[in-house]
Formats: sequence, C-alpha cells, structure tokens
Amino acid sequence: MSDNREVNSIQNNPDPNYWRSFEELYRNEKTLKARHHEFAEGVTDDFDPNENLSGISRRKFLALLGASAALAGVACSDYRDKGEIVPYNVKPEEIILGRPNFYASTCTACANSCGILIKTREGRPIKVDGNPEHPVNQGKICAKGQANILNLYDPERLQQPLKKSSTGFDNIEWKKADSDIIASLSMAGSKEIAIVTHTITSPTFLKVLEDFKAKFPTTKIYSYELFNSSARNSAWTKCYGSGNFPLIKWNEAKVILALESDFLGVEGNRVENSRMFAEGRDVNSKSFNRLYVIESSMTLTGMNADYRMRLKPEAQFAFVMSLINELNRKGAISASIASNYSLDEFVKKNNLDKERVNHLLNDLIANKGKAIIHAGDLMPENVHIAVNILNELLGNKNLYRTDSASVNLLNLSSLDEVKELTDKMRNNQVAVVIHLDCNPVYHFPNDLNYKELLTKVPTVVTLTERMNETAQFSSYILPLNHNFESWGDSKTRTGVISLQQPVIAPLHNTRQKESILLTWISTSPDTYTETLYHDFLMKNWETNIYPTLKSRIEFKQLWFGALHDGFALTNEAGQNFSSINLTGLNLTETKFNSEAMTLVLRESYQVGDGRFANNGWLQELPHPVSKITWDNYAAISHNTAKALDVQNDDLVEVSVGDRKLTLPVFIQAGNADNTITIELGYGREFSGIVASGVGFNANTLLSSKPEFSQWVYTNATIIKAGGKYPLASTQEHHAFDNPRIQDLHLKRHIIQEGTVALYEKKSDFIQEHRPKELESVYTPFQYNEMKWGMAIDLNKCLGCGDCIVACNVENNVPVVGKDQVLKSREMQWLRIDRYYSGSPDDPRVSMQPMLCQHCDQAPCENVCPVVATTHSPDGLNQMVYNRCVGTRYCSNNCPYKVRRFNFFNFRDHFRDGYQESSILTLMFNPEVTVRSRGVMEKCTFCVQRIEEARSEAARKGIPIKGTDVKTACQEACPTNAIHFGDINGKDSEFYKYRNHELGYYVLEELNVRPNVTYIAKLRNIHTEEL
Amino acid sequence: MKKSLLDYILRNRLPLTVFIIISSFTLTYFVSRPERDGVGYTPVQPINYSHKLHAGEMKIDCKYCHTNVDKSRFAGVPAVATCMNCHTVARKDRPEIIKLTQYYRDGIPLPWKRIHKVPDYAYFNHSVHVNKGIDCTACHGEITQMEKVGQMNSFTMGSCLNCHRNAHDKFPELKDQIKKGPEYCSACHR
Repeated sequence: MSDNREVNSIQNNPDPNYWRSFEELYRNEKTLKARHHEFAEGVTDDFDPNENLSGISRRKFLALLGASAALAGVACSDYRDKGEIVPYNVKPEEIILGRPNFYASTCTACANSCGILIKTREGRPIKVDGNPEHPVNQGKICAKGQANILNLYDPERLQQPLKKSSTGFDNIEWKKADSDIIASLSMAGSKEIAIVTHTITSPTFLKVLEDFKAKFPTTKIYSYELFNSSARNSAWTKCYGSGNFPLIKWNEAKVILALESDFLGVEGNRVENSRMFAEGRDVNSKSFNRLYVIESSMTLTGMNADYRMRLKPEAQFAFVMSLINELNRKGAISASIASNYSLDEFVKKNNLDKERVNHLLNDLIANKGKAIIHAGDLMPENVHIAVNILNELLGNKNLYRTDSASVNLLNLSSLDEVKELTDKMRNNQVAVVIHLDCNPVYHFPNDLNYKELLTKVPTVVTLTERMNETAQFSSYILPLNHNFESWGDSKTRTGVISLQQPVIAPLHNTRQKESILLTWISTSPDTYTETLYHDFLMKNWETNIYPTLKSRIEFKQLWFGALHDGFALTNEAGQNFSSINLTGLNLTETKFNSEAMTLVLRESYQVGDGRFANNGWLQELPHPVSKITWDNYAAISHNTAKALDVQNDDLVEVSVGDRKLTLPVFIQAGNADNTITIELGYGREFSGIVASGVGFNANTLLSSKPEFSQWVYTNATIIKAGGKYPLASTQEHHAFDNPRIQDLHLKRHIIQEGTVALYEKKSDFIQEHRPKELESVYTPFQYNEMKWGMAIDLNKCLGCGDCIVACNVENNVPVVGKDQVLKSREMQWLRIDRYYSGSPDDPRVSMQPMLCQHCDQAPCENVCPVVATTHSPDGLNQMVYNRCVGTRYCSNNCPYKVRRFNFFNFRDHFRDGYQESSILTLMFNPEVTVRSRGVMEKCTFCVQRIEEARSEAARKGIPIKGTDVKTACQEACPTNAIHFGDINGKDSEFYKYRNHELGYYVLEELNVRPNVTYIAKLRNIHTEEL
Repeated sequence: MKKSLLDYILRNRLPLTVFIIISSFTLTYFVSRPERDGVGYTPVQPINYSHKLHAGEMKIDCKYCHTNVDKSRFAGVPAVATCMNCHTVARKDRPEIIKLTQYYRDGIPLPWKRIHKVPDYAYFNHSVHVNKGIDCTACHGEITQMEKVGQMNSFTMGSCLNCHRNAHDKFPELKDQIKKGPEYCSACHR
C-alpha cells in the first residue's frame, strides 16, 4: 500500500501542506526527478579511490592475505634444507677429510729451485712452505714461492691451446696443434729451429732438449735471464778457469763488504744467504758479523748494514783498486797492480766518510781470512776480477764453500748469441722459434727488434702459463701446467738433486713443456699420454742418474724415497780453488763521465723480472725499503730531487740515448746523488687483469750494446715531465709515530737499539728504559695453564716481507688493489714498519714487524659494544667475525694500529670480482673463516694452528706444549727471527727470547701488557753510542 | 576529569598491543623451535639405509663406516666402496642394494641428504669429543634404534655450551677423564 502511495505521490500533486522547497511546491520538473535518485549525477566525478583511500584494492588485499597465509604455512610446515653430503665413490687411501697431506716438491718460480713442502687439503694445494729437510733452503721459501699458489688458481691461466687467426686466437685441439708444429719442425730443412728458454736447472729436461736436438739437428738453444750472474761468471772464468763461482760461508764471515750487492735481497739464493747471514748475528751466542755496504741505491742489504756508504756504481772499480793499493801500502798484502789509485783521493773525490773507510781498512786487515768482499751482479766483469784478487790476497778464500758448489747445466747465452739469433731471423734463416715458458719480447732490449723480427719467422710457438707479450706475436700458444701440476727434477748444487712431483691433476687442458717436446720428438701427436714425462723422468733417473749416485739400495726404493724426501743426496766432490791467474787480467777502468746521471736498473723485490706481475699478493706486498705497492718508480736522492725541483709523485722523463720513459719519482733516503734507480718487472701488457696498468715498463731503457753493464747506464738524463702520478705507499699508514716530530720512534722507545760494544759492557742496558710495574684499574687476567706469546729478534729481521705473504696465504687475506691502498685500507695482518733516523743522506734504518700484540689488557676489548673481541684463557685476543657489527671502536682504540676493517667485500670489489672467481675459492684455507664486508679482523696468532695442535694433543691424550705450534710467519721467516710458544714453557727456545735481557715491549708505558717481545737490535759498530 | 586520548592509548591500546605481540612471539617461538633447530628433521635419503639394522641389530661399529671420527674434525660419510665391502656379496638382490651397486659401477658419488649441520663459522671437531670418550649418541641420539636417521638434538651454540659448562653433570661416568669443555670464542670460531 505504501508502494502505491509512493507511486501516486510522484504522479500526483504533493500535499501542499508539506513541502521542502519552493521548487517542490511549484513542481519543478528537475527537482521532482532528482528526488527519485539517491545521488545526483556526477557526484562521484574526480574521486579516485587510489588517491584518497588506501592504495590496496580489495582484490589486491585478498590476494596478499592469501599469499601471506600460504607463505606462513609453507615456512612453518617444513624444515630448512641443509644441502647434501657427497662422499667419495672410492676414497683415496691417503686422504683423511679435514686433515692436510704434505708433499715434497721443488719450486720452479726462479732458477734457485728450492725444496718445497706443499700442504694439500682434500687434494687441493692450499699452502707452500720450504722443505725443512732440504739441504739448501732448509724449510724456508721466499715470498714469490709462497705466493706461487695464487698462480696455480689464477682464473686467467690459459686453458686451451690457441692458434693465431686473422681475428685473434682460436681454440685448437692439442692433436691438431701438435701435428701442425711437427710438420713445421720436420720441414725446417737447413733453417734453424730456435728454442728460447730461461735457465735450465733440470738434468732430465736437458736430456729432452738433447734428444730434440738429435731429432732436429738445426736446433739451437738460447737460454737467457733478465738478471743474471754472467759478469761474475766470466770474471771467474778469467781468474780461475771455471765459471762456477763458489758459494760463500756467510755465517762464518766476521766482516762482509758488499759492493753494490743485494745478496740479502735479490741476488743468488736469497733464502739461503739470509739464513747464513743471520746465523752470524746471534744474541744468544753473542757473535756478530759486521756488514759494510757501499751502494748507490738503498737496498734490503743496505738497510741492514752496520756501516753504509753511498757510491755511484761506476766508481766501484776505482774503489776496489784504491783499497788494494792502500792495503798494499799498509803492508797487509803485497800486490803491485794498483799503483795509480789512491784511496785518500778517492775518498775525497767521492765524498766518502773517512772514518768509516778507515774502520773498513782496519777490519779487513784484522780479519784476514774471516772477511769476504762481494760485488753485486749488476757490476761489470772488471769489478768482479778486482774483488777476486782482493779476496785472494787477503786470504778470504777460506770463506768459499768447498762442500757444495753451484752447478750450471747449460750456460746462459750471451747478448752476442742473442744478436746472432735476431740476425738470422732478419735473414729468414729461422724456421721455427719455440719459447719455453719465457717472455723475450718483454725482456729483450728493444733495439734487438725481437718483436718485429718474430713476424719474419714462419712458425712461432709459445709455451706459457698465461698470456704475455711474446704469446701475442706467436702462431701457436700452448698452455703449460703449473709448477704444482708437473713432474721434474732440478740440480743447482753439487751434492743434491731435487725432485718435483705434481700434487694436483691439471686444472685445465694443459700439458707440461717436457711432454710437449717429447711428443714432437716422437713426430706423432698420438704419443702423448699423461704419464709421458713421468715415465721419461723415471727412466732417465734409472739409466743416467741412479748409477752416479752409487747407491746400495735398488732403484725403485731410492726413487720413492727421493720422491718422499723431495731430493736425493749425491756423493759429489765439492769445489777446490787453485790460485788466481793474474796474467792477462783486464784491470782497466771503463771510462765514464762522473758528472752525468747514472741509471741503475734493478730486479723488483716483489714481482721478480715480471714473471709474477699477475699475482695480486706480490703486487700488494710493500717494497721492503720504500713500502710502495703496485708500482715501480724512479728513485732519486733528495739532493738530486732538489736540483731537479721535483717532489714525490711528480712525473719525470728518464732517457738514455734515444730511449725514453716517463714515470713518477720517489725520493729515497740513502740513495747516491745523481743516480736514478728503477726496478724492472712492471708495465706488463696482455698479461692479465691484475698486472694490467701496473707500473712502467723500464725494460725499454735496456740496450743490447751496454757500455758499462747491462743494468747500469752512465749517460742517462732526467727531466721534469710535469704532472703527477700517485704512488701507493703503506708506510705512512697505521703509523704510530708523529711525522712532525723526528725520531719519535726512538723517543717513545718503539724502536730500541744499542751497539754490540755497549751490550758487552752493560748487557741489560735496554731494561733501563722500561717502565716500572704499573697499576691497572682492571683485574689482571688469570692465566692458569698455558699462555701464548711471540718474540721477534730484530737482530735477525731483515725486513724482507716473506712473513707477510705467508700470513696472507694462511689466513685468506684478500688483495684490495692500489686505489684502496691509497686510502690505507690494505688488509695485511702483519706489516713491517721501517723507520729512518739521522740525515736523509745517510739514514740509519730500523725494521719492526708489527702485528696484533695480544695484550693482556687489550684496549680493543673494552670498547667493543657487542663483545666481538674477547680474551681467551690462553692469552689470545680473540676476534669473532660472526659477532662483529663493524663499529670500528676497537681499531680506534688500538695503540698499535694492527686491526683491519673490511670496508668492502674486497674479493668482489677488487678488479670487478676477480677474486670471486669460483676457481680461486679452491685456494682458501678451509680452517679460516672468509671474512666479508663490515667485519673487523686482525692477526690471530694462527689460532687455527693452535686449535689443531690442541685437538691433536686431545687425540693423543697428552697436554699441549708451546712448541707444538708454529705460526705461518714464523715458519716462513728465512732468518728464524720469529719465535712463538708458551711463556711458561721453561725449556723452550722461545722462553729464552721472552725473558731476554735485550727484550722489550712496544709502548709498554700504556700498560696494555702486550705479548710480543722485541729483542733490541744491536749494531756492530766501533763505538758504544749509536 | 575528562579522559584524554593519551589516557586511552596508555591504558588500553598499548597493553593490548604489547600483549598480542609478546604472546604471538612466544607462541611462534616455542611452536617453531624444532623446525628452527632442525630437531626432528628426517629427510628421505637416496638409499633407504637403516642404521637400526646395521648398527643396532648387526652391531657394526660406528667407526667401520665413519672412519675419520677419531682422527679429524669430520666424522666422514663412507664412500660407496665401503658399502660394497659387504654388498658385493650380501643381499645383492634387494632393490636398494641394486641401486647402490649401480652407483658404484657408474663411479658416481652418493648424494646423501645432510641432517646435522653447524654454521660455517663454527669449527666443531668430532675427534676431540670422541677421543675424550663421549659417545656418538650424546649428540646424535639413539642411532641404533633409528630406521631412518633424523636430528634428535639441537645444534645451536646454546646446546653446545650447555654441555661444555655442565660436562660433569651431563657425563657423570666420564668425571675422571674430562674437564669442562672450553667456553672461549676461538675454540670454535676463527
């Protein structure tokens, strides 16, 4: 009924007594119509629900609700997947998961062929150390040998044989490459087949080369080394009729005079030299040798000198002759060969310290037969001859080792012979050039035009581990096995022959160079098998080497014994030296302009002759003297810099004749005036992402017709080139001395030194400077059982940096790159601080390895807001990475500045994630956490080794001893300067050092109670005062 | 006095919200605990191997297969070749053994599902515990009764420390042989 009324009311007139508006009263059509709609038309216009209401539509809301419910259901209804455990199908017998195996082998990183012990975990090499039983290097190995492991896993190793095509290089099958090359070799006819190689140290490889020569009679072998002892060799040939110069008993020498010789740095077997030298500087036996160094550039040897004098290299000959003359005049020797040289005049002319020269003279006279004079490899022949004469006249031949002599399997080719090769190449007389793991395009002087001449040779084959300058110009590039993937043997000494065995199957499709040559000799590519060279090596040992050993055990037994030991001893006679043959010796001086600039080209301490340029660990290893990483530079003295008006990092142009190079300058304290020192081995091309753009190629300054010596040029010029180039030095980083206050390291007793004379008079003079027992506001930590400590003998520390690389390898320390080193963000846990004192002309240099001191009352521990760094009951300052949140308070509060912060995930950050490559992860030490961004880290005293020793003791059920643990740096130190152990282990070697009267702690007055004892350095000079 | 909005929030809204949050957290925490710790995780293995049969009924020593357990950090899951020591002869016709033989013949390693896991930054050492006389079952449960192996105990740092701190209560029979377990960080983290 009401409905009817409603309908009626629309149609009928409204009740005139009730109206709401005049429009209604007067029956406006529009109004009447509007009454029937709830909303007026257009009322929802301009209304966007997304703008004014919640952004989620109903549909979306429901979808989200459903999704989250589903997610919650899934997440809570099942367990997390924990992955899989994939055991071996058949487990190799020698492998115990989680425990390392050690294999003895031989290092082929340089011609010294040291014995090494390779630590493998589950078949992967993870660390290299010296073989402790090897008679030459006795358990030590240099930085390059340590870092060699990075070369094995380098993602940029060549993985396939390559053949040159019009567009670049194409992959090729080994078989195809072999047959192509065999065809070229067979068709050589009367043309030469040139084999270019580095030093040959393997008798069996030499046999392969001889077989090769027999098969292809036009073969000629050229072996070269960028840095070599050829001048010394020829001097010895002239003096004694044999180029086999002797090894020296550095440990027995009382006085050592090094003339431009870096025998502790880059010359000879550095590891052995360092060990023997340091044996002669022992605080326990109180025997000290005295080292005089006369050199042009500050070297590692010069840093360790008791007396050091600066002299341009070309004046060395006159110096030795004047010395002979003066000794003759004093009646110490009788020689009539040096009449026209006067020491007084020489000293005056070259501005030498008269007093020091007198000391030297007196020492040489007083220590006849117990002194040795040694000239460096860079010196020309006449200096070596003069030195030989002087040593002979002083009776110093006693110090030549007779038990063992160096062996030259194949003499190095002279520059003339190399020139013959290039001439033949020019005349199209060479059919094939084979480069055996060498890089002559980079190493040979540019004026030989070797690179251009290679295009004239029909077939150029380069056998190499990674791409390089020479490979770029080759028709075939054959990838080689790494050191750790190869068989081999090596003989560098009489009395011992080392064996090299592979510890891992080749990671890539590579072969070792010996088997490649053997395949070619057989002229059939099918001859190749993986055991080809192994069989050949064994056979050669059985037929040629075994009979010479005169062993009483049968061959197989000897072979496996030698393989296990890494070497076999041979009963060979040592060396005896006849008297010097004075007739016909060329003792004339090379003429030179004494006012001109002298350029000295030296071997790089880090990357050698450039072979290790793609190794980030070595590139980032601070230079032992300048602490510069990732670069070479022109080092000049501060006087020369003043004259040139240049400062550090300024670019200069160095030229010799028409050969020019622009590079940055570094002002090196202690360099001779008017000399420029540049290290070679940098500025590599085509050799990988790490090496590219690092340093400057100073090989371009080499000449094939050197007037003075291949590495020393007396007619150089240097001019300011304008512009700057930043050099990344680590020295000013983490420094706890204030550069504005000179010699602060002495004033604050960071470096404490004395002299041997003072020590003999008053043996506890160091203890006078030590602060008295200080009270602490903290309750002292109770050490109930054992407590770890370290002692570093600064008398033995030479500052070489081998420990740094060993630490990097052991503790998975990443490479950060030059840009980060410039920002002081290097990650090395161990650094070697180098301090100068005295004048910049003649500085006294002090070295100090600095690492976490594991303080008893560590200031870092108190400030950590998340308790990520704490103290252990055995005295370690622990760092717990998974707890660290990266506040860096600890680093801020550390007085020694030894904590390192991961500002980035450096593995990802450096060179576009080069270190993230999956193959490099094989190199990690599985016992050490790999740290990522935002985490603090520092030296742990190799806690993984301590814990391993602990569990070993627990397995055996005996208590752990302090001598059970050796830290990585201790193991690597060539001079045994680092000692580690239990401070309560009273019968240990370490205990003696810990409580030594020369022992002191750094910054002891802070009362943080550090646990690294430094044994003060004693300088063996004539006065009591420094 | 008039009640303000703040009053209302403080008296009613806040306690209610806090209560809901705490109660739902507590509930979820305890309900999901075994899943988070992995307790009870019993995955299906590629070969239906029975520890109950081998270790329980036949009483084969744990160390026959887990050879490294007293020598190394890892106990070691046996290689297929170890199984084949017996199964080249024993029960050759069973379907699971046929599967196993196939793996062995093809030289393919067996991808066992991992049951017990501690994080990468924790360096647990089996050999130390076993050599001190702690039985496998202390952590792994009554393995000899398990047809299918599952995780029986929690492997969190709290569980480790629980034993390390109260070693003598947990292992009264070993009182003479063991001291307390280490509690310092680098015993496990380095």
